[in-house]
Amino acid sequence: MSQFNNAFTLFLSLLVEAMPFLLLGVLLSSVLLLFIDEQQLITKLPKNPLLGALVGSMIGFLFPVCECGNVPVARRLLMQGVPTPVAIGFLLAAPTVNPIVIWATWTAFRDQPEIVVLRILLSLVIATIVGWVFSVQKDLKPLLQPAIAKSWEYNFVPKQELKKATPTSPLLQSGTFLLNQPGQMVRMDATVLQASLAATAPNKPLSDRLRLLVDNTIQELRELGAVLVFGSAIAAFIQVAVPREVILSLGYGPVTSIIAMMILAAVVSICSTVDSFFALSFSATFTSGSLLAFLIFGPMIDLKAIGLMLSIFKPKAIIYLFALAAQLTFLFTLFINLQII
Amino acid sequence: MIGSKSKRKQAKLSPNQSKTRAWLFTWLDVLAIGAWGILMLRYWLTGKLNLLIHPDYFWLVISGGIGLIIIAASKAWELLRRRRNSGTATQHVTLFPPGISSSLLLVTAIIGMTFTPRVFASQTALDRGVTDSLGATRAQPQAFRSARNPEERSLLDWVRTLNVYPEPDAYTGQSAKVQGFVIHPPELPPEYILISRFVITCCAADAYPVGLPVKLSSSRQAYPPDTWLEIEGTMMTDTLAGKRQLTIQATSLTQIAEPENPYEY
Repeated sequence: MSQFNNAFTLFLSLLVEAMPFLLLGVLLSSVLLLFIDEQQLITKLPKNPLLGALVGSMIGFLFPVCECGNVPVARRLLMQGVPTPVAIGFLLAAPTVNPIVIWATWTAFRDQPEIVVLRILLSLVIATIVGWVFSVQKDLKPLLQPAIAKSWEYNFVPKQELKKATPTSPLLQSGTFLLNQPGQMVRMDATVLQASLAATAPNKPLSDRLRLLVDNTIQELRELGAVLVFGSAIAAFIQVAVPREVILSLGYGPVTSIIAMMILAAVVSICSTVDSFFALSFSATFTSGSLLAFLIFGPMIDLKAIGLMLSIFKPKAIIYLFALAAQLTFLFTLFINLQII
Repeated sequence: MIGSKSKRKQAKLSPNQSKTRAWLFTWLDVLAIGAWGILMLRYWLTGKLNLLIHPDYFWLVISGGIGLIIIAASKAWELLRRRRNSGTATQHVTLFPPGISSSLLLVTAIIGMTFTPRVFASQTALDRGVTDSLGATRAQPQAFRSARNPEERSLLDWVRTLNVYPEPDAYTGQSAKVQGFVIHPPELPPEYILISRFVITCCAADAYPVGLPVKLSSSRQAYPPDTWLEIEGTMMTDTLAGKRQLTIQATSLTQIAEPENPYEY
């Protein structure tokens, strides 16, 4: 019973802490949808995969959200048809490479500025590499959830088709259009079309835009909120079921400490905005490389984020992302522990 | 083409049915989001928020709660207005699949409202491993207030001080007055307890226990686990479980109520 109580307290504390960030992310994502001409932004993104991945990794600077907030934005970007490396770069780097997180990390590790610098640098490098690797897959559809895949493809189709097909009441018509695909996530399709609507009708009155903003916020809050509930429940369960001692006792060596901290990062699912404070509590007992591994890997992949990412990607894609990010993080931080770089 | 497809689809539901369903599901969204806003503010207003997160992040939760309520309220207002005007409801919402997501959110919020978060207790501390070391990690300014009167140090202050200068003999004879809850670690002899507190950095998910052993004059059975005590005594060095440790030789033990804010920061 007390275990259950603890798990529930953990669960609620994760949720209560993550909910404001989720709200912030969803709001920003909705504002991005309605008040920024994404088509413009997308046309300005570099076509070169490597450069695109790098630019994508730095878009986080415009959207100071943590990993619960960046998923809706990444999803939105993908739905708008941004090139893959950009979206992947953003997804992996945005939770770390943004002003709020940098500030928080700096606050925590003032005594070790190298941790702050290396965290940002390595996150950028890893996100860029993974984004670049993903650029090999030109057709993203097999990796995306069906609804996202549809809109991704849809946005790759020249815009004229949409205009031709858009009758007098585009909202109504377009909303029903995608509902015809059996077994699809209908609401997201509605969002896509709202997005297209917003993009094709930039001069809509402000009141309409605000209404769409609220609708979109509610839609994403509902979807991502439910996934967050799920992820937090799993994280809480594992934290209670597996004594933290077991995870920590995995070792203090250059290799084992990194592995232990990466597992901890994935299990604890702590928000990137606050994870540096969490990592701080290990800075005496753990190697710098392992702390970095925690700070770099945690925001990219953790149990909670996997839950959220499932709203974009099929499990296969998440396994690729997970494996690539984990290996790169491990290699780089091992180099640091062994003082190779 | 698109138009005809949509007509076919819509024919499956009578307009009234689908309108009512959409209306219900939208209200479910409003309720779920509103409930979360209320839950977050409620934790704050009832003082339970400090069981869940660090006070530094209260403002985030409070503004998040207010934000959620504003969103729910604006949608509710729109729905009410729309209902009065009737018939203008956008039909693209009429075919929402059953509101599983909103139900999940709503149910979680309701359970959250009925459930009182619990302070972690001695068993959790034992599971997580109580320690008298922090690492230079939490090198907060307090850690260096060695000039502070020893009896004014809280348990965490002691642990922080010990971290800066770990030799237990350095503190021998200093008087101590600390508050915390009782743990009966199996590895300590029966006349020893561990006086402990949980420290949180951000939220309950990262709560970790710190503690110091206390030497009693009698068996620890008089002080069952999880009892909150204020302990006065003097510092000494003891060898416990094969390790030299800073120990409080208790002179007085007073049972106290669980503090409103059981964590230390």
